[in-house]
Amino acid sequence: MSAAIQLRSVTKSYTRGGEELRVLDELDLDMDEATFYALMGPSGSGKTTLLNLVGGLDHADSGAIQIGADDLAAMDSGELAQWRSEQIGFVFQGFNLLPVLSARENVELPLLLAPLSRSQRRAQAERALDLVGLGDRMGHKPRELSGGQEQRVAIARAIATDPQIILADEPTGDLDRDTADNVLELLQRLNRELQKTILMVTHDPQAASYANKTIHLDKGKLGRIDDNSQVQRSS
Amino acid sequence: MPWKLLVRNVLGHPVRSLLTIGAVMVAVFLVCILQAVTSGLSRSLDASSANRLLVQSAVSLFVNLPLSYQQKLTAVDGVDAICKWQWFGGRYEQDKGGFFPQFAIDPEPFAPSYPEMTITSGSYEEFKQTRTGCIIGEQLAQKYGWEIGDRVPILGTIFTRVDGKPWEFVVNAIYESSSPAFEEQQMFFQFAYIEESLEQGGATGPKGSGLYMLKLSDGADPISVQRAVDEMFANGPQRVQTTTEAEFNRQFISMLGDVPQLLRLIGGAVLFAIFFAVLNTMLLAGRERTRDLGVMKALGFSNGVAAGLLIGEALLLCATGAGLAIAIALSTEETIAAVTATFIPGFALDQGTLLMGATIALMIGLVSGLLPGIRAARLTTTQAMQEIV
Repeated sequence: MSAAIQLRSVTKSYTRGGEELRVLDELDLDMDEATFYALMGPSGSGKTTLLNLVGGLDHADSGAIQIGADDLAAMDSGELAQWRSEQIGFVFQGFNLLPVLSARENVELPLLLAPLSRSQRRAQAERALDLVGLGDRMGHKPRELSGGQEQRVAIARAIATDPQIILADEPTGDLDRDTADNVLELLQRLNRELQKTILMVTHDPQAASYANKTIHLDKGKLGRIDDNSQVQRSS
Repeated sequence: MPWKLLVRNVLGHPVRSLLTIGAVMVAVFLVCILQAVTSGLSRSLDASSANRLLVQSAVSLFVNLPLSYQQKLTAVDGVDAICKWQWFGGRYEQDKGGFFPQFAIDPEPFAPSYPEMTITSGSYEEFKQTRTGCIIGEQLAQKYGWEIGDRVPILGTIFTRVDGKPWEFVVNAIYESSSPAFEEQQMFFQFAYIEESLEQGGATGPKGSGLYMLKLSDGADPISVQRAVDEMFANGPQRVQTTTEAEFNRQFISMLGDVPQLLRLIGGAVLFAIFFAVLNTMLLAGRERTRDLGVMKALGFSNGVAAGLLIGEALLLCATGAGLAIAIALSTEETIAAVTATFIPGFALDQGTLLMGATIALMIGLVSGLLPGIRAARLTTTQAMQEIV
């Protein structure tokens, strides 16, 4: 299996209160394609920062980040935006659906950046919503949906452009256990059936158990990588 | 550009959007009307005749000139005709709140001196023969439904009858005007009527004439005539000031202060206030959408789209307000023109005024959208997602 995501000596620091805080410290990491990763670690260990760097939302201070054949360090912000629209799907903890748009329109949003006709966009958005089991909620606004349904719409939006990588930041953080399990099962299905590479930040060991592997970060460095094949929960 | 999102963002806060649109609408409407007033005043001045001079007292417009001056003025080279003009200042009895200008004039030289006036019904000859006769403008006739032969009672305020009754005038003719400087809401009657009443003791009021209008001969130099007239009466008994009709009208308007400048200042102040109102709305909208914009950037939308959404929203609000203002201004133009005809004869909303109103509204939209737009463009995705603003 080839590496979908490769980090070499990645360092990222922030200045807070006049003090420089090294969040990622010379991090080396390889992630295989079509694998579901959970990213765990204590607060401040650099999980979200790593996710932002891999998603091209932020630049590393030093080091190299290779996603497939693409070197993120070589891209400017415009190129990164274009790259994200084609290669990455994001799922956030707070769902972050646009409140004025319906479920289908939210899913259609990233497709506006693809060279598709209106009918193609609509069909693709509807397919994605069908896939997450919300074919009957397409015209509903986010406020008319439950938390679990909102997160499934967010997942549909993440997969609408058919990206190879899905990055999820605490996707079940705002959900109850049962709803969280449903969402995690959905992510697992996307990994198994559509061969998506998924990197999910979580604090919850139970959520992590849905992943193939768990990456542990500690103080900006790689702690260990657990293979979950023995304990992995299955849908 | 996700146009649907732009429109939905506007519709997403209906009350706020309606209030902003309403504010822009009122401001643009007001500015268009004020500009139309200013243009109307200019049109009226521009349309003033170049071959008519007006002689008034050098002391004040409210001081009358002796009647003996008329004979002396005929001796000035370049003067073709002389006509008295006396402000009557009466009130139409049946309409307590109504006001329109009435002037006592000399019928013989009056009509030939004002070729812009055309009699459309009745007879000017009959007016000349009837001591209590009058001619009225078409707008005035329409306003009160007066017809030829009607008797119009006017209560004098400067010239009052000793019996306390109103003056009575017979409508002999109705005129239309081809010039905004000569409006159609006026009444003219014979100067001899009040002169005789004053002499016979039937009325009280100031003697003399408020103005003398001098119609110049073809080829006469207005400046030479002006100078000659002023010099003629330089040693009294009453010094005079001779001006062109345009200058007289300008001075008359400026008695209220610099009206065009005042109107511009009011319009400017209103626009300034509305700019801040729209800017406030857009800053609020930008702040509220920080997270949404962060999501869009994460999805791959450019900084330009993030800025464009806010600028477009401001432009949409302002364009809607301007469109409504222009529609209302056009639909009320005739009514406003009729109401203001006495004071602003040339009131009209021309294309330039409407275009100016629309342009100002769009500029307000652009500038007020630019500030939150630039902020949205500069905001990094991670900052936006964390709502670090």
